[in-house]
Amino acid sequence: MTTRVLAAETTNFLLPNATFFVEFALFLIVLFVLYRYVVPPLSRALDERQDMVRKQVQDKELAARTLQEARERYESELADARAEAASIRDEARADAARVRTDLREQADREVERIQRQGAEQLAAHRAQTLTQLRTELDGLSTRLAERVIGQSLSDDRRRRATVDRFLAELEHTPAGRGED
Amino acid sequence: MTNDAAGSAAVLAAEEITPGEHWTGEFLGFTMNIDTIIATAIAGAIVCGLGLYMARGVTRGRPTTLQLVFEALTGWVQGQVRDGMGLRAPRGVVSLGVTLFAFILICNLLAALPSEHVLPPPTADVNLAYPMMLLVIIWVQVAGIRARGAKKHFGHLTEPYAFLAPSEIITQYFARPVSLSLRLWGNIFAGGIMVSIIALLPAYILWAPNAAWKLFDIFIGVIQALIFTLLTVIYFSEAVGSDEEAATH
Repeated sequence: MTTRVLAAETTNFLLPNATFFVEFALFLIVLFVLYRYVVPPLSRALDERQDMVRKQVQDKELAARTLQEARERYESELADARAEAASIRDEARADAARVRTDLREQADREVERIQRQGAEQLAAHRAQTLTQLRTELDGLSTRLAERVIGQSLSDDRRRRATVDRFLAELEHTPAGRGED
Repeated sequence: MTNDAAGSAAVLAAEEITPGEHWTGEFLGFTMNIDTIIATAIAGAIVCGLGLYMARGVTRGRPTTLQLVFEALTGWVQGQVRDGMGLRAPRGVVSLGVTLFAFILICNLLAALPSEHVLPPPTADVNLAYPMMLLVIIWVQVAGIRARGAKKHFGHLTEPYAFLAPSEIITQYFARPVSLSLRLWGNIFAGGIMVSIIALLPAYILWAPNAAWKLFDIFIGVIQALIFTLLTVIYFSEAVGSDEEAATH
């Protein structure tokens, strides 16, 4: 009981006593120590770590971007190379076609030239033969006919006409048939 | 019967743990609560010691567990201050918040030790709760005046309606200080009362509720430290105003 009475006399829970000032001073000391020596290095470390993390994230993004760019460049170059290869192939194909056409044309021309040459030779032969015949056939046929009818066929004019007609007929005969 | 029980309880409590009663001494003619002062000094030494020990080896690399704890606390306070005030935060508010939380927490946790009957938690004494409250309230006023000017700071009391100014004055200068300090004090003081009541139980059963209560007391200690710090930051935010508010006015 005495304690309770004493307590009631000496202390009221809600009223501070001189301890207040000591406590205030103690709290201010703690505050000062933390404010001066603890929080600044801690904040600095926090900031630095945040910077470091941010930098790492940036580095990572940069690396990812570089990789992406390299991949894109590789792919674009690959596509270019493919396109170039295709164009070279197409060109080669076109060249081949052109060479083939050229060669064929050349061969065609050669064939034509040979044919023409042959035809010309043939025509020359024919003309030569005709001239020869014209000179030889006249005397020969006359002699043959005189032997058959036993008289001279002196009428030169008629004889020449007969030979001419024959030769003309011969000339009108197509060349192909004459060759056979 | 009831009176008897109450009487014996009071006597028992007085013998065991006596919340609100202090081991006093005289100094220059003033009465001092020596137990509170010693407990405060111990709590302060723990906070400063841990802080200084941590700060000595502080690194941006791989932090120690202690550094992580301090970082978590500082980061949380910084976040609250940034959210509430942005760049207008007065200098030292983060340190104040960190100190309040760490110091109140350690003080409150002294209640969880079995030494409670020798060294009660200093937060159970208004002699610690009042100075902290007074510091916060005065600092808030100073910060508000410095941030917005005295006219605007006090003119704010009449907004939005002048006739509500008395209620605003009571809130700002009476209800808030009283509630801020006595909430902390009351919660921790009540913990002491609870222990003294549990101490009335027979010894063979006493340990169970005692252990349960000490665990709960730890929880209360953390919550009260959190509330005190959070309210401090909120009061500062209100007085200083946020960046957006400053931009719109």
